Amino acid sequence: MIQVPFFSVRDLVVDYGGVRAIDGVHLEINKGEIRGLIGPNGAGKSTFIDAVTGRRIPTAGQVQLGGEDITQLAVVARRMRGVSRSFQRTSIFHDMNVLEQVFLASHQAQAKDPERDAVAILEELDLLQYADWRAGDLGYGQQRRLDLALALVGSPSVLLLDEPMAGLTVTESRDLAQHLKRLARERNVTVLLVEHDMEVVFGISDRVTVLELGKPLAEGTPDEIRANPKVREAYLGSAA
Amino acid sequence: MLHFKYLLWLAVGVLLPQLVGSATLMSLLTQSLIYALFALGVGILLRQCGLVSFGHAAFFGISGYSVALLMRDLELGAASAIVLTLVALAIVAFLLGLVVSRIPGIAFGMLTLAIGQTVYLSALKSRETLGGADGLNINWPSSIFGLDVRLFYDPASMFVISWVVMLVTIYLLDRLFRSRFGSITSAIRDNEERARFIGLHVMLPKAVVYALSAVVSGLAGVLSAIYTGFISPETLHWSVSGTALIMTILGGVRYLWGPILGAIFYFFVKEYVGELTDYWMAMLGAVVIFIVVFAPNGVSGLLMQLQERRQKRKQDVIVRRMEVRS
Repeated sequence: MIQVPFFSVRDLVVDYGGVRAIDGVHLEINKGEIRGLIGPNGAGKSTFIDAVTGRRIPTAGQVQLGGEDITQLAVVARRMRGVSRSFQRTSIFHDMNVLEQVFLASHQAQAKDPERDAVAILEELDLLQYADWRAGDLGYGQQRRLDLALALVGSPSVLLLDEPMAGLTVTESRDLAQHLKRLARERNVTVLLVEHDMEVVFGISDRVTVLELGKPLAEGTPDEIRANPKVREAYLGSAA
Repeated sequence: MLHFKYLLWLAVGVLLPQLVGSATLMSLLTQSLIYALFALGVGILLRQCGLVSFGHAAFFGISGYSVALLMRDLELGAASAIVLTLVALAIVAFLLGLVVSRIPGIAFGMLTLAIGQTVYLSALKSRETLGGADGLNINWPSSIFGLDVRLFYDPASMFVISWVVMLVTIYLLDRLFRSRFGSITSAIRDNEERARFIGLHVMLPKAVVYALSAVVSGLAGVLSAIYTGFISPETLHWSVSGTALIMTILGGVRYLWGPILGAIFYFFVKEYVGELTDYWMAMLGAVVIFIVVFAPNGVSGLLMQLQERRQKRKQDVIVRRMEVRS
C-alpha cells in the first residue's frame, strides 16, 4: 500500500509578473514532522509559505492536506482545515488584550474549550501573566510569542512559521525554539519552519529542505544537509 | 450596575427639560441630540471598522424621504412607514456594505462621497416625485407609535423622545460590541490580514457594521423629519456628512457616547460663538486640528483620561496613608 504524505506540495510555481519566484518546488511532509526550509535571501521561502497558505495564488502546482487538494481554497477555508501560519513581521492585534485575541483565534479554530485552550497556550509560551495587557504594550519578544500563540491555538494540523525568531536575542530565540519543539510534539503538529538561525533550524528540525533561486537544492536530515557540499557552497558557508 | 447606569441617564434626560428655562436652548439641545444620533451612526463605522464615511447624509436624508413617500403614495401609517424604511435601509446598506467595505482607506471615503453626492443630485433633479430643491412637506398623522404628534413638534418633549431613542440605541450597541461580534470587528479593524489567518470572514462583519451605522443614521433622519415636518435635498449634501464626521472627531470614538458629546459641543459652538463672529467655522476648525493632534481620542477620551488620573491620585493617597499607618 502506498503511504500518502500528510502534507504535500507538488510542482509549485509562483510568478511575479515576468519573474519566476518559485520554480517547480516539490515537498512532502509527514504528520508531526518538523521540516526546516532554508535558503539565501530571495530564494523564495516566504513566497512559498504565502502560496501554500492562500495569501498568494500560485501560477501552477498543487497543495494537498491529508490527501485533499486545498490549492483553490480561500485563506479562511484552509485555516478551518488546520493550516495555520505566523508572519515574518509580527502580526498581532495591537489594540486588543492578549487573552481576548488568543481566545478569539481559538474560538475561530473551533477548539473544544476555547478558553482553556487559549490559557494553556499562553501558559506554554510564558504569556499568561500578560493576559490582560494590551498587545501593543508588550515587548518585541513577547509580541513574537503572541504571534506564535495565535497560530498555535485550536491545534492546527499544519503550522507554517515564517522566521519566528527574527529580531529576537539569542536567549529568546533558543527559548522560543524549545517551546516550539515541545508544543509541536505534544500537539502532533506538522511544522514547516523558515528561519535564518541555523542553530535553531538544525536543532529542532527532523528534516531540512534547501531552496535556491526558487528551486529545491537539497533535502535531508540536518546532518546530511550540513555535510552537503552543494549546500555549503551555495548557502551555509561558515554557518554550518 | 449597567442597567442602573442607564436608568440614571434616563432620569437625567427626563429632568433636563424641566431645568432648562430658555426655549431657544431647549430647541438647540433637541436639534443637537438628533444630530448626535446621526454622528453616532458615523462613529460606530469608524470605531468598529476604522472606515471614514463622507456619504452617510444619504442614509440620514433617504430615511426622511422614504417615510414621506410611503405615507403619501402607498398610504401607509407612520409607524409602518418608519419600520419599513429602517428595515429596507438595513438590507440595502448591508448589500452595499458587502461591496464598499472591501475598499480600504481614503478610497472608501471617496466612494462613499460619490454615492452620497449621486443620491443628493438625484433628489435635487427629481422635481415631480421628491419636490426638487424645494423638498417635501410631510403630513404626519395625529399620532405616531401611539404618541400625540404634537409631542414630536415640542422641543422639550421631543428632547425626551430623542434622549430615550439614543439611550436605547447606545445600550443595544454597547451590548453588541461587548459580545464576540465586537471582538471580531475590533480584530478586523486592527489587522485584517491576521484576522483572515485566524479564520475570520472579514467582509460579513464589516457589512453588518455598515448596515448598523446606516440604520442609526436613518433613525436620526426619521427623528429630524418628524421634528421639522420637512425634508429637502440639503439633508443629503456631503457637507452634512462632513458635519457628522466633525462631531465624531470632536467627541472621539473610543467611547460610544463620544460622538454625542461632539454633536452637543458642535451645536453650542455654532450657536454661541456664531453669535460673536461670522468666523465661527474657522475657530471650530482650529479646535478640530487641536483635537486631532493633541487628543486623538476626542473630548470623551480627554475626560476619561482626566478621570483615570484623578482615580490614580486617590489610590496613591490611600496607599501613602496606609504606609504611614504601618
